[in-house]
Amino acid sequence: MKPVQLFCWHFMAYPYLDKDFDQKQYSGWVTVPNSLWDNRKARGLYQEYIDQLAYADELGFDGMVLNEHHQNIYGLMPSPNLIASALTQRTTRGKIVILGNLLPLHMNPMRVAEEYAMLDQMSNGRLIAGFAPGGGPETFNYDVPSANTREKFWEAADLIVRSWTEDGPFAHEGRYFPLRYVNLWPKPLQKPFPPVWIPGSRSPSTMKEVAKRGYCYFLSSRSHGGETHRAQQEFAAVLEQHGDHYHPFRFGILMSTYIAETDQQAREECEEGVWYFLKNCLKGHLRREGRQLTYGPGVPYIPAAAWREYLKGYTPGRKLLGDVENWEELEASQSIIVGSPETVTRRIQNLIEKAKVGNLLIQFQLGNMPDSLARKNMKLFAEKVAPALREQSVKVFDKQFAGVNLEPATEALH
Amino acid sequence: MSGRILDINQRKVWVLESGSGAPLLYLHGFADVHSVKENWMPFHERLTDRACVFAPAHPGCAQTDENNDIDTIDDVIFHYLEVLDALKLTTFDLVGSCVGGWIAAEIAARHPEKIRKLVLIGATGLFVEGALIGDVFMMAQPEYGSSYASLREMLFSGANQPTALEMFPDGKGDLEDEVRRYQMLRFSSRIGFKPPYFYNRPLRNRLNRIRSPALVIWGEQDHMVPRVHGETYAKLIPDSGELIIIPGAGHSVHVEKPAETANLVLDFLGK
Repeated sequence: MKPVQLFCWHFMAYPYLDKDFDQKQYSGWVTVPNSLWDNRKARGLYQEYIDQLAYADELGFDGMVLNEHHQNIYGLMPSPNLIASALTQRTTRGKIVILGNLLPLHMNPMRVAEEYAMLDQMSNGRLIAGFAPGGGPETFNYDVPSANTREKFWEAADLIVRSWTEDGPFAHEGRYFPLRYVNLWPKPLQKPFPPVWIPGSRSPSTMKEVAKRGYCYFLSSRSHGGETHRAQQEFAAVLEQHGDHYHPFRFGILMSTYIAETDQQAREECEEGVWYFLKNCLKGHLRREGRQLTYGPGVPYIPAAAWREYLKGYTPGRKLLGDVENWEELEASQSIIVGSPETVTRRIQNLIEKAKVGNLLIQFQLGNMPDSLARKNMKLFAEKVAPALREQSVKVFDKQFAGVNLEPATEALH
Repeated sequence: MSGRILDINQRKVWVLESGSGAPLLYLHGFADVHSVKENWMPFHERLTDRACVFAPAHPGCAQTDENNDIDTIDDVIFHYLEVLDALKLTTFDLVGSCVGGWIAAEIAARHPEKIRKLVLIGATGLFVEGALIGDVFMMAQPEYGSSYASLREMLFSGANQPTALEMFPDGKGDLEDEVRRYQMLRFSSRIGFKPPYFYNRPLRNRLNRIRSPALVIWGEQDHMVPRVHGETYAKLIPDSGELIIIPGAGHSVHVEKPAETANLVLDFLGK
């Protein structure tokens, strides 16, 4: 079996906020005043971030990950496809993962089908096509009504894949996106179509829809306590129900790491960026402070019966990732793994073994972390951590998944 | 409490029904029966003293089945035409609050012959340039993970208004009340979230079709629907009096000042 796939995920935060941002501003999302954007400082920022991703390709990462956010300081990629387009010309070997385009925000899913097909051609077949429904902030960003978001999302996703695989022109008589002429030029390069990844947060219905279609499930949670392992088990069970089998490359997780020569040095070097990320970038998203927009009754996209179940187990005012008050709490969340190459290797190996996860999507640049430290972090990971992870993961996966077919069963869809 | 389930095109519609007198259809808003409370509140009870009140829960609210085919206000109006048929209501008094007021105004503009008298309380539905209806969805996202103060502030005269605190408490509220609140947000997001934001732009130019006398009531401190919306309704409905302002009340006038509001409504209907 192939080793764990190691991806470099860049969120492209806005790194020039004043130190008193958290005291002065109510949120980092949707309503965060864009008068804070400073062109004198921000000129060249995209270049710096794109250069870091190109560097990941040089260092031998298996791919680079981008995603879509709007109107916030957390991620400056309203259109990840533009960055992906640049990467097709700056990189040569790694996959380009867009995780993903937020389908309900696009008036016409054909635009996504077309751009992804272009990117697949431009990258010589390196695209991994992510589709995401968007969460609370995106609901407010583009005024997307919540109630039918999921249905709309799956209709769009299925239409896109159909447009890649079925010869056109054909008519799509859908509920949300009826189109008379679906006839894609260009087609994507990869056959039958680029790998499709779908993010989720352990909702059984999303897992089921992903399993039905043979796609890869990506857990969007940022914390990796017991729930990562549980998500893997749940997804594996859902796959079995659909006559399919789990293997590590059906599953991916998001994590952050910072590596330096020693544990102490690692913490010292990354701490400013980490707190900037936790307190500023997550404000409005994964912090109870202010108004958390990501999930709640104002963005009612799950049916009422599911909401009732959620309420039963929910503790109002519980701490979210961005509410951690000190380094020890942060360590316990297993969200950001910081330390020497040995420490980080050991902790990620545990995660791989326990969560049986084959795709690690790793954030190396956190908050306002300077370019030099982000690059040093990536380099140390690539040279001192990645080889050990690859070696160990092959052994673990060979033992746990001997004889499992790595090709997903996609016939169900076509 | 007495209610019944109507079966409309294989979908259940839950209707509370009581009182005696002329038939009155009540369409609920956010801080209301069906959207928080299971049963009548003091305002509705007062109405049942003098009228036979029917209060259906909107699609997806309380025990009314959800309908995923609802995208626009038109779909809601057709739903209510079916409800009216099932209740055998041909002419009736129509009272609506907030989103219920919007639906009421739409029904009255399309089917003026059905309406004896019309009452709008803090009704949404109109486009008034420069006077956006408040974002109840964002306010429904708790602050500090557990505070609904800004939702109460939007729906009432103030965040600490006692009924507001009882209906929208911080932290964990009554589970069923919370589920009903969620259902109402989910229903109203279908017709009110995407611009048009709780309004139907053409409605304004259709209000001249309303033939019944109308009473338009607004809270002095409505933090959700700016008062100019009430003034516009009162001005454009041909047989409407001046906008009535209830001092000391917010958007949910009938919840904050139940007796005063009910008396106004009953006096108007009894004239």
